[in-house]
Amino acid sequence: MPVAEPYKIKMVEPLMMSNRDYRKKAIKNAHYNTFLLQSQDVYIDLLTDSGTAAMSEYQWAGMMLGDEAYAGSKNFYVLEEAVQKYYGYEFVLPTHQGRGAEHIISKLLIKPGDYVPGNMYFTTTRAHQELAGGTFVDVIIDEAHDAMSVHPFKGNVDLEKLQSLVDRVGKERVPYLNFQACVNMAGGQPFSLANLKSVSAYCRSQGIKIILDATRCLENAWFIKKKEPGYDCHSIAQILMEICSYTDGCTMSGKKDLLVNIGGFLGLRDSQLYEKACEFGTLFEGLHTYGGMAGRDMEAMARGIEEAVKEEHLDQRIGQVHYLADRIQEYGVPIVLPVGGHAVYIDAAAMLPHLSQDQFPAQSLAAALYVETGVRAMERGVVSAGRDKTSGEHNYPKLELVRLTVPRRVYTNSHMDVVAYGVGECLERRNKISGLNMTFEPENMRFFQARFDLISKKKTEKPQTGVRGQICGNSQSTTNNRYADQIKERLR
Amino acid sequence: MKTIIEPFRIKAVEPIHLTTKSERNSFLIKAGFNLFQIPAQNVTIDLLTDSGTAALSNEQWAALMRADESYAGAASFYRFESAVRSIFGFRHVMPVHQGRAAERLLFQQMVRPGQIVPSNTHFDTTRANIESLGANALDLPCQAWRESDSEEHFAGNIDIERLKQLLDSTDSGAVPMALLTVTNNACAGQPVSMQNIRETSKLLRRRQIPFFIDAARFAENAFLIQQREAAYADRSISSIVSEMFSYVDGCLMSCKKDGIANIGGFIAVNDDALADRIKEEMIVTEGFPTYGGLSGRELETIAVGLGEAIQEDYLRYRQAAAQFLHFGLRKIGVPVVCPPSLHAIYVDAAAMFPHIPASQLPGQALACELYREAGIRSCEIGTAMFGKTDHETGEQICAPKELVRLALPRRVYTQSHYEYVIEAFKNITKRRHLVQGLRFKAQAQKLRHFTAVFEPIESEIVSIFCQLDVEKYLTADLAYEI
Repeated sequence: MPVAEPYKIKMVEPLMMSNRDYRKKAIKNAHYNTFLLQSQDVYIDLLTDSGTAAMSEYQWAGMMLGDEAYAGSKNFYVLEEAVQKYYGYEFVLPTHQGRGAEHIISKLLIKPGDYVPGNMYFTTTRAHQELAGGTFVDVIIDEAHDAMSVHPFKGNVDLEKLQSLVDRVGKERVPYLNFQACVNMAGGQPFSLANLKSVSAYCRSQGIKIILDATRCLENAWFIKKKEPGYDCHSIAQILMEICSYTDGCTMSGKKDLLVNIGGFLGLRDSQLYEKACEFGTLFEGLHTYGGMAGRDMEAMARGIEEAVKEEHLDQRIGQVHYLADRIQEYGVPIVLPVGGHAVYIDAAAMLPHLSQDQFPAQSLAAALYVETGVRAMERGVVSAGRDKTSGEHNYPKLELVRLTVPRRVYTNSHMDVVAYGVGECLERRNKISGLNMTFEPENMRFFQARFDLISKKKTEKPQTGVRGQICGNSQSTTNNRYADQIKERLR
Repeated sequence: MKTIIEPFRIKAVEPIHLTTKSERNSFLIKAGFNLFQIPAQNVTIDLLTDSGTAALSNEQWAALMRADESYAGAASFYRFESAVRSIFGFRHVMPVHQGRAAERLLFQQMVRPGQIVPSNTHFDTTRANIESLGANALDLPCQAWRESDSEEHFAGNIDIERLKQLLDSTDSGAVPMALLTVTNNACAGQPVSMQNIRETSKLLRRRQIPFFIDAARFAENAFLIQQREAAYADRSISSIVSEMFSYVDGCLMSCKKDGIANIGGFIAVNDDALADRIKEEMIVTEGFPTYGGLSGRELETIAVGLGEAIQEDYLRYRQAAAQFLHFGLRKIGVPVVCPPSLHAIYVDAAAMFPHIPASQLPGQALACELYREAGIRSCEIGTAMFGKTDHETGEQICAPKELVRLALPRRVYTQSHYEYVIEAFKNITKRRHLVQGLRFKAQAQKLRHFTAVFEPIESEIVSIFCQLDVEKYLTADLAYEI
């Protein structure tokens, strides 16, 4: 039986339709950076799954129960209890969003000169580690950097890499391991419990803490249930609790798994660490019983936790991402496999081989995709990777990706069909997609606000000729897609 | 009609949880005599702060429902930006999750270790943010405030003479910026005059020192300028606001006050380069510049709330409510700071409890007593908040005044609630000689008042009374009255 949404729609938000010429102007005005587009010019917004979820009626009802007292709001206690019940961390410090928690934990644990290993970097996480004087070290397994590898748990930590780091710098210089669930930059790839268990045993023997980035931990738990031997009879809630049990704390952006538009928290087991965290929290975020969140938003997040651990929700959620992946592959577009939990990652380097990495193929593709269909995606390649601090050169990541992130409970599968069609159109016209020059480059996290301009045609290398279907062996002809013509009609 | 009524009616209510005196006694002990640690559910009337505690209007709720939660370039951001621009007149508007984040981001760009940031008076988080950068937060309250001159209409002013002396006696570069907080929260919410803003601006611009306003209560300050500064009697609130901000280079705002919102804030500046630097920095800790750590919903409520806060009917009602409580307390002999501000009534705890020295925290003692008596939560603004413990001697370095703030949440409580507060004070006044001082049992290094644990200092007479049961205790009260 096909998986349908385990909910019906209670409130809608109209979308603006636009034509190709309008979008061409809009992306030019946005300097070819999809972050700089106005959201009202976007038809289907797959920029991020962060803070973009549709809340349930149960959460909206909770919004009306907001207790906006400055200290000791009752919503805080509800949230605290929910985190304790499902994640098992005794101490809960709300923060205005995930990076608030990262800010606090980095300031708390990292001393200048320390090394912070992690299963692949994430933009804000690494920025906080560097601001606190630490150096990020990637200890993810090699398969994670290979878009073609079908390893089921590409988010795993390579224990040997971790050990050799510790041997090299000494365990005193490694305050904690940042263990991310459903590794975002690797394409939303999960880790396995077996891996976490062995890494945790090693870390405990060395006195190194494990801080879980629990942002997409429920999606990770779903993959464990589906793929890891011995867990098919466990509930998502049981697996989540087991994951957390191997860690010393977590940073959480509630804007993903927890189905809310704002909010996050820091979960800890150590009371002394928590007390120190409260001191920082009060200075940067807000008093420890609200941490910069409105009471109503804490209530919505507490209720979101209850909903997010339901298996039927995750079946539909991840099912929809896989639906989009299947449609896109039907057009012969190369994507990162296996498909992760929150997004489909298009391999822009493979799709636009005529562009060198210095011409920002992923950024170019994201801009072109917007012009084709009004779909907004995000670059996850050389622009996101930034520059090396010492050499000043671009960090060239092995993967040059465009991320199509699916917001939770917002779009229907018909919307997904339009997205797949748009990506297919880009593949068709890929020879006409030109590279970009960066005209403005912020120092930190440049991808958010960098500005670009089209490279004039003559400078672009002569594009290779190629037709749809030659890139991926398993592709089928687009004429098989019964929606293609209808969609074409609508977008013109 | 002379009676000033609320220019609104009630659309949604929130039940109040009632507690008994003995329950409250045990809650107090459990909370270490720190009212920040008491669950809100156990509070009857919550006058801890006017920050983030407002009741939204139907228009704000409607805007909240239409919010756009897109990560970048949300329509809600553009509505927010245009509301802020039209009221304050600055070119760049950057939302942040709340006021203290705005402080941190701005100071990080402006202030270096060892520099001095003068202000009419820094508030707690402002001071903590400046000091954590290794700089000095210098308070220059005007003479009228220092001498408790109740005739002065603008006791929140900065002392222009002392500011001039500071600038003349230091090298250029020692003072990276100056900040005026309107109204002056640490000085009992007293307003700052337009003249004072203008003169400060003149002084600073001559030396090319950037000048900012902490605008948390800008509308209330503008209203008091309209009332008290002769030249502005006929001017609209919005034109007064425009003039106030025309004298400065930018502002910080906690929208939890005069934004009539439950969360949120912003930085607004004219300087393009400064704005670019702040935008880059804010991404790391707050959020992308078109949401700054706020949901689309919150951006919408602020955009509407700012407009509601500058309505004269609303401000007149707000003043009437503050005056009602103020006069009610004065009538029964409670020493209150005069004239009353709009957002809070400040009780002089040192005058109320002459038997408790400042080092024994009379303000904190009064706040605890108010809670014990009637479940009212207030906030100490004295030595617990602004003092320091001398690490060598262990003694308290006391704050200049020992005040208790009864902050008035916007549009939340009715006149009957305030009558209840007055009655609680009446009861405490009767037995005020029995109230005990407190001492610190544990404290954090920064912003200690939020999490500190206190314990009562038992004097002989008090411990005798504490051993009596409640009924005898009440009899003792009566005996004293006779």
